[in-house]
Amino acid sequence: MTIKVKRRPRRKDAGQAAPQGPFRLDPFQEEAIRELTEGHNLLVAAPTGTGKTLIADMLIEKVLAGGRSIVYTSPIKALSNQKYRDFAQKFGKESVGLITGDVSVNDRAPLLVMTTEIFRNWCFANPEMLDQTTHVIFDELHFLDDLERGTAWEESIIFAPAHIRVVGLSATVPNIRELSSWIADVRNQEVKVIIEKRRAVPLDLYWISAQGETYNEPGAREYIRQRMEMRKGRWAGSHNDSAELV
Amino acid sequence: MANLTGSNPSCSEVINSIQDHLPALYFTFSRGKTELLADELGREWDFLLHSEKTRVKEIIGEAEKAQPGLFGTRRAKLKQILAQGIAYHHAGLSPAIKDLVERLYEARLIYVLFCTETFAVGVNFPAASTVFESCRKWDGREFRGLMNREFFQMAGRAGRRGFDPVGMVYSRIDDRFPEQTGFYSEDDIEPVRGRLTISPNTVLSLLYWKTDEEINLYLEKNLAVYQNNRESWKIKRELGELEKRLAEIGGTFCREVDTGSCYMLRSKLKKELRSLSRKNKRERPGTGDRRDEIRKLLKIQQKRCNHRACSDARRKQFDMLERKSRIERRIRVLGSHSRDYEREFNGVWDMLEDMSYVKGRKLLPRGIFALHLHVEEILVTELVFNGFIRDMPPAQVAAVLAGVDYVPGRDDFVEPGPYDLREIDLLRKSLLRSGIPENFCVWSSLPGSLAAAWYEGASFEKLLSMTNLQEGDVFSTIRREIDLLRQIERAAGEDVELRRQMENIRRVLDRDEIAIPGI
Repeated sequence: MTIKVKRRPRRKDAGQAAPQGPFRLDPFQEEAIRELTEGHNLLVAAPTGTGKTLIADMLIEKVLAGGRSIVYTSPIKALSNQKYRDFAQKFGKESVGLITGDVSVNDRAPLLVMTTEIFRNWCFANPEMLDQTTHVIFDELHFLDDLERGTAWEESIIFAPAHIRVVGLSATVPNIRELSSWIADVRNQEVKVIIEKRRAVPLDLYWISAQGETYNEPGAREYIRQRMEMRKGRWAGSHNDSAELV
Repeated sequence: MANLTGSNPSCSEVINSIQDHLPALYFTFSRGKTELLADELGREWDFLLHSEKTRVKEIIGEAEKAQPGLFGTRRAKLKQILAQGIAYHHAGLSPAIKDLVERLYEARLIYVLFCTETFAVGVNFPAASTVFESCRKWDGREFRGLMNREFFQMAGRAGRRGFDPVGMVYSRIDDRFPEQTGFYSEDDIEPVRGRLTISPNTVLSLLYWKTDEEINLYLEKNLAVYQNNRESWKIKRELGELEKRLAEIGGTFCREVDTGSCYMLRSKLKKELRSLSRKNKRERPGTGDRRDEIRKLLKIQQKRCNHRACSDARRKQFDMLERKSRIERRIRVLGSHSRDYEREFNGVWDMLEDMSYVKGRKLLPRGIFALHLHVEEILVTELVFNGFIRDMPPAQVAAVLAGVDYVPGRDDFVEPGPYDLREIDLLRKSLLRSGIPENFCVWSSLPGSLAAAWYEGASFEKLLSMTNLQEGDVFSTIRREIDLLRQIERAAGEDVELRRQMENIRRVLDRDEIAIPGI
């Protein structure tokens, strides 16, 4: 038996973070904080990885410092657990609770991580538990469109106690203004919208062919067109062959 | 060399092409595929330097100390490729393994991670590039292309702030199905639509806690209705404008339009005449008369006019009429849906009344009980009120409740246990016969023996030996049961006996590998 030597990648000396300079908020983050400080409901639509989380973190810090409570809802249960650990590290274990249906930890804490379903249940069954709560953050608000789970988001938005401000963080969606005017309508409160279109790091889209070549979009479309043509030709060819055999 | 999936380009070739842009998240839409591709890559590639391998081994060592038998025999291969900087991540893995893979990824010790869609929800694990093995997925109903929104949720993980000037996104062109290659644009991301569905719990909650006014708000102002109203308002306005323009265009024709002197009618008649003189039509009864009639009309002198303007106007008029009828059809559709929620609400309310959950607006004992249940509330309430739960030994209760809302996959297999669950199936069937919709009593006997064995103290390894379900599935099935047990505890209220019974089962189930780590 021969021992096959494995392939190794070219290794660039990347891996070092470029110096980022002093920490500064992006303009859309600053604007979001301003709107929240003024006590508005707020929807933020921005691509993944642009720093929506930071807006949530700063709001949480503010609310906790003011001695009030805040709820953070996450789209999936596994994520709630992760968020709980994150927040416990950031804000101290005693400030954070977790309630997901199968887990309930420190449920009187000022910062509660919940699944959206649990928040919805509280809005119906024990809204008095939310008396001290100033904000609810809906992370990944576009889950409203989820066939199975969207209902929990919607019922939460409709029935969250009136004194609670709604903060929705969403990936880029084209009708974010429609969503905000719906929330404004159903909650009878003004809702501000902040849209950030730019990615922190822009994306380049490429396609890889069977030969391992990399194409941009026009190149890929042309490549596919040719493959399809060839295939058609081959099919027609084999057809003729069989005709000759007969 | 070996290309196990037999597809071109192989993942090894893909990685070769993008090796200057690692780490990569390699998305596929089946768990099995992530494992297959990871193995395949592991046969050819090794990404780690010696010092990195040492760190990987250290981190793995610590994880194994915290949970002996972490990899077992099932994940031995994964352990091996982790030392080469390769891994996979999907919902079938145990939380401890997922956690380990995530930590290694964050420590930049994984260069290629094969993963499914869930890796892109929530916590941000950025990469230098993302790769799409294919752009089609099974969504529980059908194979379909990814939506723009889904594609960019995943693609957007490419590009690490402060590391990469751009995030690289690669889609494979599968040589066998080049026509299925996906092309996506952020300008085409789909709008969010309202998806409200009305469950028995929603109806009970509304009746019990909300005023009539609030119920109406819910039925008349939910997102779907709001979007429906907005659309119908918009297209009605368009319809109004269209009608105005149609009236205007009607006024542009002269008084002799569509008479024998009109060019437009004459050219139409000439065409008809030609068609009627064809052999196959000439013989038909009535054709002769019609031809005479047309000839007579054509004898009239054609008006000298700017008929081209009229033909243009006619074409426009035709397009507008077509648009108009399309809008009218859409208005009818929207109108027929505007009362959907009211109908659905009343339908569930009637059903609850028939089953003695409510009387009018007042909740009866069953209704009060179901108010605290959020999964298969009808079935679970009937299980309790028909005495099934109370009279069973706890391990059997564990078996019954594990199956609530469980939909087995086609090839799922679990060794049957000692408990007979046929009674439950009979109850379910009788509920279905009495008209309860199927989605209100979803239950399967399949996972029952796993929960019973776990209750009776079996090891997690033992459970895995009883089934072909994966670690993550066994874990989430029993976690979901724990959730349900808590709901029943709340529903039990003053019924201390039932509450204690549930609590006891829950505490026994919530242990060892099934417990949530770190909480």
